[in-house]
Amino acid sequence: MSGSRQAPESPTADQVAAVALAGLDALGPRRLRVLVEHFRSPQRALQAVRERRAGAVLAPTFGPDSGVALDPLLAHWAAAVDPDAVRARLVERAARVWLDGEPGYPIVEPLPDRPLCLLAEGARADALDAPRVAIVGTRSATMHGLADARELAATLADAGVTVVSGLALGIDGAAHAGAVEAGGRTIGVVATGLDVEYPRRHRRLYRDVRAHGLVLGETGYGIGPAPWRFPVRNRIIAALADIVVVVEATLTGGARITAEHALRYDRAVFAVPGSRRNAAAAGTNALVADGAYPLTEWSDVLIALGMTPGSRRAAPPRPVPDRTGRAVLDALGGEPAAPEQLAARTGLAPEVVALAVATLERTGWVSWSQGLVWPR
Amino acid sequence: MLASVVSATLVGVEGQLVTVEVHVSSGLPSYTVVGLPDAAVRESRERVRAAILSSELAWPQHRITVNLAPGAVRKHGAGLDLAVALGILVATDALPADALEAAAALGELGLDGSVRPVPGTLALVDSLARHGVQRVIVPAANAAEAALVRGIQVHAAAHLATLRDCCKGEAPWPGWEPLPPPAPADDEEVDLAEVRGLPWARRALEAAAAGGHHLLLSGPPGAGKTMLARRLPTILPDPQPGEALEITRIHSAAGHPPSGGIATRRPFRAPHHSASVPALVGGGSGRPRPGEVTLAHRGALFLDELGEFSPAALDALRQPLEERAVRISRQAIALTFPADFQLVACTNPCPCGLGPPWCGCSAVQRARYRRRLSAPLLDRFDLRVAVRPPEPTATPGESSAAVRERVRAAVDRQVTRYRDRGWTRNAHVPAGALADLVPLRGDAADAWLTESDVRRLTGRGAARIRRVARTLADLDDVPDVGAAHVALASMLREDVP
Repeated sequence: MSGSRQAPESPTADQVAAVALAGLDALGPRRLRVLVEHFRSPQRALQAVRERRAGAVLAPTFGPDSGVALDPLLAHWAAAVDPDAVRARLVERAARVWLDGEPGYPIVEPLPDRPLCLLAEGARADALDAPRVAIVGTRSATMHGLADARELAATLADAGVTVVSGLALGIDGAAHAGAVEAGGRTIGVVATGLDVEYPRRHRRLYRDVRAHGLVLGETGYGIGPAPWRFPVRNRIIAALADIVVVVEATLTGGARITAEHALRYDRAVFAVPGSRRNAAAAGTNALVADGAYPLTEWSDVLIALGMTPGSRRAAPPRPVPDRTGRAVLDALGGEPAAPEQLAARTGLAPEVVALAVATLERTGWVSWSQGLVWPR
Repeated sequence: MLASVVSATLVGVEGQLVTVEVHVSSGLPSYTVVGLPDAAVRESRERVRAAILSSELAWPQHRITVNLAPGAVRKHGAGLDLAVALGILVATDALPADALEAAAALGELGLDGSVRPVPGTLALVDSLARHGVQRVIVPAANAAEAALVRGIQVHAAAHLATLRDCCKGEAPWPGWEPLPPPAPADDEEVDLAEVRGLPWARRALEAAAAGGHHLLLSGPPGAGKTMLARRLPTILPDPQPGEALEITRIHSAAGHPPSGGIATRRPFRAPHHSASVPALVGGGSGRPRPGEVTLAHRGALFLDELGEFSPAALDALRQPLEERAVRISRQAIALTFPADFQLVACTNPCPCGLGPPWCGCSAVQRARYRRRLSAPLLDRFDLRVAVRPPEPTATPGESSAAVRERVRAAVDRQVTRYRDRGWTRNAHVPAGALADLVPLRGDAADAWLTESDVRRLTGRGAARIRRVARTLADLDDVPDVGAAHVALASMLREDVP
C-alpha cells in the first residue's frame, strides 16, 4: 500500500492546476495532455490559459475547418479558470488527486491515452490496492443480465476483488449494487464532474459506492454529462481493470467500446454468452465470436486473476439449515423459484415455506427479491 | 293562506330536510319559487298546476309564493313536487291544515296527477326519520323501499286525487307490494373451487377478505388474476347490521333502488379502466354525484389492469384510500362522501407480462411501465402478490363456502377485539394503536424486526406487515401472532410489479 493513498493531504499547486484545467468546457483529456506537455507542467499551462497564450498550441487539435472560433473560447477559459475555488473544493470534499507519473497513480503501465489526472472521492481508497475487475454492460439489460451482474459482483467482492464499473443504469448499477451488498469494495468511474450525479436515479447508489469505495473520474468539477465523454471515460474503466467482464451488451453499445479498449490495453476480456433471441446478448455473443472468453462459471474470473476460488476471504460461516430449510434449498435446486413453486415441491404450507425462506435469507443461503427466491 | 309541508332533497348521498312553505295571497296570479331551486324544481309550477287541475281540484287564481327552506341548500330534482302541491291544497283550504300533522311528503308529479317515484327515497326517508318526522307520504313505487327505515310510518301515494281523500281520512291508504326476498347467499354463479392452484394468491385473497386489506395481484395475462379477484365477493363477510342499511341507502341515493330489501352483501364494484376521475371518486359537473369509491363503501373496488387507468384517476384514489372518505369542495358547498372500501387491483408486471425471471423486457421498458403506478399508490397495498400461471397438474382449491366460513370467524375475532373502537378490521388499526392491540412476542417480534431490517422497510411498510400478520393469525384462529405469520405477511407484500 503506497502512502499517497492514505487520507488526502492538501493538494499540490500542480494538482490544483490540472483539476482546474480539466473543469473547462471543450478542454477534453486529449487537449489537456497536449497543453500540459507543451508547457511542461500544469501550473505553467494554467498560467498560459490565463494569459490566453494557449491558442497556438491547441489550434491543430481543433482541425483546419472545425469552425470553432478559438479566440472567444480562450477568452472564456481565461475568465472561467479559478484555481483558488478548485483548491477550496478539493479540500472541502476531501478529494484525492493523482497526476500521471506521481506515486499512487492507479494505472501502472504507460498506456498511450491514460488520463493526465485522476480525481477520486470516497471512503475506501484501498479499493485501488486490490485486484480490480470491471463489470460492464448495456443500460437496457434483461432481468437475467441484471441478476448475473449482481451475482458476479457479489462473488468477486466476496473474494476481495474490487469491482469497477461506470455507475450507469442497467448492468453497471447491478454490478455496483452486488459489490455493495456483499460488503466488498467498488469503484465507479464517471464521465462527469464528481459533484454531478448522473443518472439522477442512481443518487442512492452513488452514496453507497462512496461509502464502499471510490467515485473516480478525470474531469474537473461542474462538468455535466455530454454524449462524447462516456466512450472516452470507458478507456479508464478498461485501464483500471485487470480483467473486463461484459455481462450483456447490444451490438453497438458502450460496453463493446470498453471491451475494445481492454483488448488494446492487453486486458483479458470475458463475455457472458446469452441466447441469440436476446438483443441484449448480441454484443457479448459477438465478443465471444471475436475471441473473448465465454464466462459461464464466476470462479473462472478468480482463476484468471491467479486467485484460488473457493478459498473465500472471510467467507461467513453459514449456519446449517434445519430440516425444512434443507427441504426448501433442495426444492430450489440452484434456480430462482417462486414461493408457491417451493410450497408445491416440498408439500409444505405457505407459512412454513415463508418462515424457512426468512430464516435462510437471514443466514445467507437465499435472497428474496422480485417475488422470487434466489439461491446464493 | 300560509301552509308548510316537510320534504327532503339529496345532498351528496345524504338526505337534507326541506320545509316547503306556500303562501297564497291576493294579487295578480303568479307563481314564484324562492330558496335556491334548480331548473327541475323551478319547472314544478307546470307539473303541479297540471296535476292539480287533472285531479279535479281548483288552481288558485292568486299570487303564489313557494319558499324552500333552508335557503342555503341547493334543491335538486322533482321530488319536491308533491310537497308543493299539498302545500297549495292546504293554503287554499282544499285540505284541512291538520291533515299533514307530523308528516312529510316526497314525490314527483305527472301532468295527470299521478305520483312518480323519486331516486334516493331510502336516504331521504332515513334523514326524515332521524329528524323526528313520524309519517311520510311517498310514491307507491317507493313505498316498499321507504318501509325499510324503522321508526317512521309510510303512506303510499299513487295519485294526487286519491291522496287528498286519504289525507282527509275519507279513504284508506293503499297498500303496496313488499320487496322480493333477497337472493340467497349461495346463489353465486362463480366459486373459488373453479380456480386451480395459485395457493399463494388464494391465501392473499382470503387475508384481504378477512382483514379488509388492499390487494394487488401482478402477473402475466392468463395467470388467473382476474378470475381470482372476481371471486372475492363470494368470500367477503356479510355486512354488519348498521353497515347493511348504509350500503342500501348510498346505492338508493346514487339511483340504484334496492331490488331485494336491505343489502345482504357487500358491494363489489368493477369500473372499466376508461373511468374518469369524477366517475371514480365522485363529483362531476352540476350536482356532485358519488363515484365508484362511494358505491364500493363497506365493500370492494376492483380495478382490473390498474396501469391502464389514467394517472389522474389513480392519484385521485390516494386520498380516499387514506381517509376512507371523499371530500368534494365547491364554491357553494363542501360534501363528504363515505368511501370505506377495500381496493383490489390487477396489473401486468411489465409490457411483455411474463415477469421475472422469464421477462424479456429491457430495464428501461420496465421502468417506464412501472412509472404508471406511483410509489405512494403501491405503498398503500397491504398485500402485493405475483400470480404465476398454475402448473398444469394443479388441482382445484377449496370452495368459497369453506373459505367464507374461516373469513367469518376471523371477522368475528376482530369485531370482538376492536369493540368500542372506531374500526372493526385489522387493516384499519391506526399505527399508534398497533403496539397495544397487535402485540408481537418472542419469535414473532424477532421475525418482525429482521424483516424490517432486511427489506429496509419504512415504518409504514412494517406496520402494514404487522396488520396482515394479525389477519393471518385470526384466520388460523390463534390468539397470538407467530413468527410464521410475520414471515408470510412479509412475503405477501412483494416488490411487484
